[in-house]
Amino acid sequence: MSRGTADREALCWPSVTVSALLGLALLGWALLRATAGYGRRDPVLRQLSAREYALVRGAAEAAFPPGGPIPLSGIDVRIPEHVDRYLAALPTRNRVLIRLLFVLIEHATLIFKAPGWDGWRRFSALSLEQRMAVLEGWARSPIQVRRLVFQGLRAVLTMGYFACPAVLRAIGLAPLAIETPVVDADLLYPPIGQPRSAIRLGVLDRARTVMRLPLDPHGPLQPGFGEPSA
Amino acid sequence: MSDPRSWPGEVRVFADYQHDVSETADVVVVGSGPCGAVAAYELAAAGKRVVLLEEGPPFTPSDFELDGALSMARTMREGGLRFTMGHVMPTMQAIALGGGSLVNSAMCIRCPDYRLEEWAEAADLARTSRRDLEPHYDAIAEFLGIEPTPEEVQGRRNLLFRDGCKALGYSSEPCPRNVVHCRGSGECFTGCRARAKQSMDISYVPAAMRLGARVLTSVRVEELISNGRRVTGVAGRVVAPFSGVPGPRFRIEANAVVLAAGVLATPLLLQRSGNLANASGQVGEHLQFHPGTSVLGFFPDPVDPVFGATQGYQSLQFLREGFKLETLWAPPGVLAVRMPGLGHAFQQQLLDMRYASVFDAIVSCTLSEGRVRERGKSLQPDMRWNFHPDDAAILAHAVWVMTEIFFAAGARKVVPGVAGHPDEMHSLAEAEVLRQRPPRATDMVCASTHVFGTARMHGDPRRGVVDEDGKAHDLDNLYIADTSIFPLSPSVNPMFTGMALARRSALALADRV
Repeated sequence: MSRGTADREALCWPSVTVSALLGLALLGWALLRATAGYGRRDPVLRQLSAREYALVRGAAEAAFPPGGPIPLSGIDVRIPEHVDRYLAALPTRNRVLIRLLFVLIEHATLIFKAPGWDGWRRFSALSLEQRMAVLEGWARSPIQVRRLVFQGLRAVLTMGYFACPAVLRAIGLAPLAIETPVVDADLLYPPIGQPRSAIRLGVLDRARTVMRLPLDPHGPLQPGFGEPSA
Repeated sequence: MSDPRSWPGEVRVFADYQHDVSETADVVVVGSGPCGAVAAYELAAAGKRVVLLEEGPPFTPSDFELDGALSMARTMREGGLRFTMGHVMPTMQAIALGGGSLVNSAMCIRCPDYRLEEWAEAADLARTSRRDLEPHYDAIAEFLGIEPTPEEVQGRRNLLFRDGCKALGYSSEPCPRNVVHCRGSGECFTGCRARAKQSMDISYVPAAMRLGARVLTSVRVEELISNGRRVTGVAGRVVAPFSGVPGPRFRIEANAVVLAAGVLATPLLLQRSGNLANASGQVGEHLQFHPGTSVLGFFPDPVDPVFGATQGYQSLQFLREGFKLETLWAPPGVLAVRMPGLGHAFQQQLLDMRYASVFDAIVSCTLSEGRVRERGKSLQPDMRWNFHPDDAAILAHAVWVMTEIFFAAGARKVVPGVAGHPDEMHSLAEAEVLRQRPPRATDMVCASTHVFGTARMHGDPRRGVVDEDGKAHDLDNLYIADTSIFPLSPSVNPMFTGMALARRSALALADRV
């Protein structure tokens, strides 16, 4: 080995070390930004982690902010709790897909900056205005995959919003009350998960008279969807 | 009035399985959807010992969810989140006793003559004309009480479609449906609380049990057992409702097997059973859909869309051009996903839904094909499908026609739901942009529940999987009775034609077994 090469190597080592340390520090900082600082997991939730809860809550507020024409925000109607129930009802693989969607939206703003000088933060850490602008960007993207991601998130949030009877009532779309007749099948099948001995209906119930007329579009609503009792 | 619990047949539910199950039958039918249920009934009526297998559970009205998200998660395979690759498109298949009939809108449309003539020519069929199928259509129609949707349960949102079509000179008609005493609750997609829809779980399946059929629910068939040119039975696992957690094993030995597992599961079962019935190489090929999209229109006066038959009206005016138009209602949360805006603007749009009507178009899609394979060892399908640009152009034209019908019916605004175009259009002149710059496939939000073609019927054994009776060319006693045997798109809702073909198969099999 020549003396010149050895000198170059001797000079190179400190800079490589410093670069590596800087790189590690940067990676640590990025990891910290991505994963730390979430609140504690709500013990009521069965599926959503603290991070997922923060994302869903932030997105629900952006999609349905308070003070709007429907006097119920996404937080008021507890969209995160609905999303938790929905996730629990999904098969494992599809639950993972929804979770990946959450991760994507939560951390995309660490790479693609949200509007504002402080836009390089996680989605859930952004201000309401920034979150709305980010979602608008996904919705209006010329890239189909980005629009699909937005539609996926919005579907989850919107169906959670509509799960609230007060929202359906406010919009005028609450389900109408229906009396269900008893048919042969009701004497054969128990409710899901129960044994056949759980069937409480008998042949005499088949004769029960049930109104067969068309529903009145302005008639009574399904119990649970009408005006709350005073 | 007899007590169904004293009938010769019976149903078993998940709680009934404590140990492994082993049974014998003349015929085992795999799948209780519209085609499997018809086949099971006809075979039982012919005096055969029938076992009908279903992976999903029976749903009672107390199991129905009005909440769209939870309903889909409970009644649909993969929680309603199944989609194609290639062109990414959601597609939904039910997992319940009665299959798709539990959560579809009950439309029973006979395949048009001209389309069946095209089938005959493309697939060397000699006995599948409209005249050949008519007796089967008629028998099913009588059994299920299929009638055009009555005016008194149409609701304003369906009648606006009629009015718009009439103003433009387009034909329209009330949809024939397997519904008796419809009350116009618009809840077909989440399960009919009024018990008016004659879904298979309350019609053909109990009728088959009355004739002695045994119905095993919560059982997943994993394999067809064969020996030479004969299938000798099926085997699989008991599975818990919703979670799919496997339990005891079961095995049914039978003199014949009717495979009615659906367009996506039927080819997978054949592939994983030693590539059965696939000398032609056609199993899993020619996957076809009817992609559809919807358009929302808003009227000056309240429409009160919560009342009215789910899909009460249709137009066959454009069938030969490649699309069919229908009215549509779904859980409001599902429809709201299509509304534009965010935040308060979005909420304002939601308040407008009371003034809304929804139309949809499905495309025959004669040029778009794909294929289905097993995804790992999961029994779930890996679907590849591409939306041919010419088929997408037909759907784009349908979006324009629906917009035109809305304005002819007096709509004050239309939301076409097309990327790259205005969110709202307030006049036909504004909507012209849909014709000047037709949306591409990826600009439209499409979905499809109509699937067919993965085990196609063909007169030539080298080019198809089954013959005109639904019998596998390669095997003596395997029949396929679902819409996978369609050689081409039917251009209309496929359920009724699938049932008619299943009835014909069952009658042929009954003579042979």
